[in-house]
Amino acid sequence: MSVSVVMTVNGEVVAKHVEDRTLLVEFLREHLRLTGTHVGCDTSQCGACVVHANGKSLKSCTALAVQMDGAEITTIEGLANGDVLHPMQEAFRQNHGLQCGFCTPGMVMSAVDLVNENPDPSETEIREWLEGNICRCTGYHNIVKSISAGAKAMREGDPT
Amino acid sequence: MDISGEQQIDAPRERVWEALNDPEILRQCITGCESLEKISDDEMKAEVLAKFGPVKAKFKAKISIEDQIPPASCRLVGEGQGGVAGFAKGAAVITLHESDGGTRLEYKADMQVGGKIAQIGSRLVSGTTNKIVGEFFEKFPTLL
Amino acid sequence: MTDNNRGIGEAVVRREDSRFLQGRGQYTDDMNLAGQLFACIVRSQHAHATINSIDGSAAMAMDGVVSVLTHEDFAAYGGVPCGWGVNNKDGSPMAEPKHPILAEGVARHVGDPVAVVIAESPIIARNAAEHVQVSYSELPAVVSMQQALDASAKPIHGDTESNLCFDWELGDREAVDQAIAGAHHVTKLELINNRLVPNAMEPRCAIGDYNSATGDHTLYTTSQNPHVIRLLMGAFVLQIPEHKLRVVSPDVGGGFGSKIYHYAEEAIVTVAAMKLGKPVKWTSDRTEAFISDAHGRDHITTVELALDREGNFLALRESTHANMGAYLSTFAPAVPTYLHSTLLAGQYRTPVIYAEVKAVFTNTVVVDAYRGAGRPEASYLVERVVETAAREMGIDPVELRRKNFIKSFPHDTPVALTYDSGDYAATLDQAMIASDYAGFEARRAEAKQRGKLRGIGIACYVEACGVAPSNIAGALGARAGLYEAATIRVNPTGSISVLTGSHSHGQGHETTFSQLVADKLGIDYDSIDVVHGDTNRIPFGMGTYGSRSLAVGGTAIVNAVDKIIAKGKKIAAHLLEASEADIEFENGEFRVAGTDKMKPFAEIALTAYVPHNFPLEELEPGLEETAFYDPKNFTFPAGTYVCEVEIDPDTGTTEIVSFHASDDFGRIINPMIVEGQVHGGLVQGIGQALLEGCVYDTDSGQLISGSYMDYTMPRADDVPSFSVDTCVTECTHNPLGVKGCGEAGAIGAPPAVMNAIIDALSDYNVRHLDMPATPNKIWSIIHKASAAAA
Ligand code: FES
Ligand code: FES
Repeated sequence: MSVSVVMTVNGEVVAKHVEDRTLLVEFLREHLRLTGTHVGCDTSQCGACVVHANGKSLKSCTALAVQMDGAEITTIEGLANGDVLHPMQEAFRQNHGLQCGFCTPGMVMSAVDLVNENPDPSETEIREWLEGNICRCTGYHNIVKSISAGAKAMREGDPT
Repeated sequence: MDISGEQQIDAPRERVWEALNDPEILRQCITGCESLEKISDDEMKAEVLAKFGPVKAKFKAKISIEDQIPPASCRLVGEGQGGVAGFAKGAAVITLHESDGGTRLEYKADMQVGGKIAQIGSRLVSGTTNKIVGEFFEKFPTLL
Repeated sequence: MTDNNRGIGEAVVRREDSRFLQGRGQYTDDMNLAGQLFACIVRSQHAHATINSIDGSAAMAMDGVVSVLTHEDFAAYGGVPCGWGVNNKDGSPMAEPKHPILAEGVARHVGDPVAVVIAESPIIARNAAEHVQVSYSELPAVVSMQQALDASAKPIHGDTESNLCFDWELGDREAVDQAIAGAHHVTKLELINNRLVPNAMEPRCAIGDYNSATGDHTLYTTSQNPHVIRLLMGAFVLQIPEHKLRVVSPDVGGGFGSKIYHYAEEAIVTVAAMKLGKPVKWTSDRTEAFISDAHGRDHITTVELALDREGNFLALRESTHANMGAYLSTFAPAVPTYLHSTLLAGQYRTPVIYAEVKAVFTNTVVVDAYRGAGRPEASYLVERVVETAAREMGIDPVELRRKNFIKSFPHDTPVALTYDSGDYAATLDQAMIASDYAGFEARRAEAKQRGKLRGIGIACYVEACGVAPSNIAGALGARAGLYEAATIRVNPTGSISVLTGSHSHGQGHETTFSQLVADKLGIDYDSIDVVHGDTNRIPFGMGTYGSRSLAVGGTAIVNAVDKIIAKGKKIAAHLLEASEADIEFENGEFRVAGTDKMKPFAEIALTAYVPHNFPLEELEPGLEETAFYDPKNFTFPAGTYVCEVEIDPDTGTTEIVSFHASDDFGRIINPMIVEGQVHGGLVQGIGQALLEGCVYDTDSGQLISGSYMDYTMPRADDVPSFSVDTCVTECTHNPLGVKGCGEAGAIGAPPAVMNAIIDALSDYNVRHLDMPATPNKIWSIIHKASAAAA
């Protein structure tokens, strides 16, 4: 059955007719061709698909597109400010927080959500937060370092 | 995986035997059973919707009833196909004893799963199966 | 040089990261071609079964289904080939059963492809696959290697005599037997190297495309080596001549070996696209990946080490069974043999070594190279048996190792290799200091007060990277060359395209190779672009595996750059009216020695393409050079790893409290990238030691650890941050002096972790424990020992 969904994705309103069983991740990748959000598993374990829904991180493989009707979605493509990388993206770049890049969009989106909640997370808190994000390349060392640096940059960039 | 147990039922052996051969009673006792019909004296076919962890599938099952000694014992051999979800197959020996004015039903079954259910849901198979068996015996006496 | 911050040795931030960080990478599944159809593969649910019939009619009848393919549709083609033949002890060739693209009458493992449904959308294809009726008659499955080799076991292939693939040996058996018989002490261990699932985060994907007007095929695929796929699939499977087949591997999300091989799905989409006249895409899901990607490791080994009274190693004997799975994957036979037993000397002077390896077919997924490939298994058994010997003889494990180190180079080992360079004491010393090895007993005592069992373990590994040279590898069974190729294309205005046969799937080639060229040519890093992963754009090369990219691929680049410089000198000599012999090239300038007469690189480039003032009689215009480099030898990175663990005796949980790595990778181009490679390898090694293990039900052959709920991937909170250091001895036979760093972590970590755990459990009389050392296993040991003591 086809249903209509309207949501705001990376600041733009999109309206589409989709099959009712379309997952949010399929909606983003196949209908909007925002292929930065990845699919790494089929059991909601890997976190490659993390986006922000109404400002909170969400595994986009666990939600149907219709459930997100009316929501504000931010994907990795919408994180930078034009050509200027978000401080978390920049921190991953400076600290070699990625290798193959496949887990990276989910890692970065997840990290931004962590820092929104906890502006100065400890290494342990970062590692625990990343429970739902698997990376096979980096050994996490530089991801943790990137997130600490990104948190610092976000704190400093945010006058509040 | 082996599952065995027994159940005291407050009804005579003949009645229990009859009920075990009554497709409608069986259908009502099996959680998720959408249809169950007898196609001959020793064959039934059924459709059961079962969920093993994240894997949910409709199983089309064929069950044959072997070694029937009414009203004392029989052996059920079955195989259910759940499409890409995989398959489940197994055999169960059921024995009915007269006891305490009622019937003591003993069962001993072994079961095997394959495909996606084995791959993703193995850890959950025994839990799910025990639950189905438990619910069966909760319901069964109430329909006699 | 215009930019001295981005040459060799600098921690240059990676240029590929901008696209990855903004979601603009281009992975295979990110591509959709116009009119594309979608394939879903029907796979065997049984480990071993006869396929009586396949009925696709119900699937075909569904709306949107275009085709259902079975074995018959591939009858005209060859099977999936194996790229390395190994001989038995008696010189006869290994058993090499047919590996059909789709199962032909018999399915031999859970996941064996049986039929393919092609439809207009992935959902339709998946639904229709449910309606393909396959009638199977189950056959008994051989799951373990013991079952497979049992005299009563039927061969799983109709065309082989038994389930033995080969029975191979290396080394001097008699000398080893004698040395062991006469030794003061012999330590014998039986150990299992647990089967692993590589689990690159990007699942495999392949898109076939066919242009019937030109007869050109294009395959987009998640591969570490597109030219190898083009060669294997084109020449051996589908008989498509090379010039009609283009293979493109765009951004690839990790490989670790599992994306080296030619897989059936690549041939399936290529054939389907041709038959249907439309592009056909197949994307694996994770569940499918577990039962169709090649697995790794899976050895059962007995190892014996003989020592004299002083602790000098006299001999080492290995007997191993290696699981091949149901068929032979591309490089499977090389892994437990030439990539494994040749490393049994480790860092030691062991005078005689003998290895015998039996490779076995079972009803399981194929097993092939996974990060380290044979070398982790070698390092694990050597470092475990050395550690055990030290304990048994009451010698400090560090001293026992040091005493037996190879100290002079080049060194010929008794297992066919010549180590060209190394300084094993240097990495050991560095690691001892960095890990405060001397202060360990105080930390152990402090932990004890907190009720924790603390242990320390070391491992001294050596590995061999960049398999070579081709002629020797060929004599040993390799069916391909092992060189690498590079083209340096200087553009008219002086910017450069580096076309490399190596492939990056996370290693950062675009950055490292640009650094290399920037340094060599003294030109701006930003004016250099690295092209890889497209057979129509790059020279024929062998791709990336075995930590070979820099040592082999990098050298090919350097050699091509040298050719550019040589030609540039000729052009400069002409322009400067000097003799070619007087031209020097430095920092991007061609200069007449001892004068200030010079021409910058860009001007030489322009002259080469606008040859108005050019020695056309002697020299072709243009500035583009290709080099093929076939190394003379492997490179031999080595190092010492120190792991400290704390075990909670109440739960059996192991925490890695510190981990130090000291590696010698030769000269380093980008230390930041090298550290990242070490971190990643370490966590895969720690994963093997503590968490990961692929489990099959031994009766039914069902894979029961087939998802991220059952197969424990290391997560951020399972591992610590690492301390990583390097020492440098340069490789003597490549111009860069580099050795390779991609696999070290995965090779050295498992024995370091396991030695630490055994040390922590020293009060419980544990001699050996197989990986993964799960809390459950450790708890049982502690519990049993406590019960026995009570
Ligand atoms: S794709 Fe793995 S959690 Fe969503
Ligand atoms: S960078 Fe490759 S999976 Fe994380």
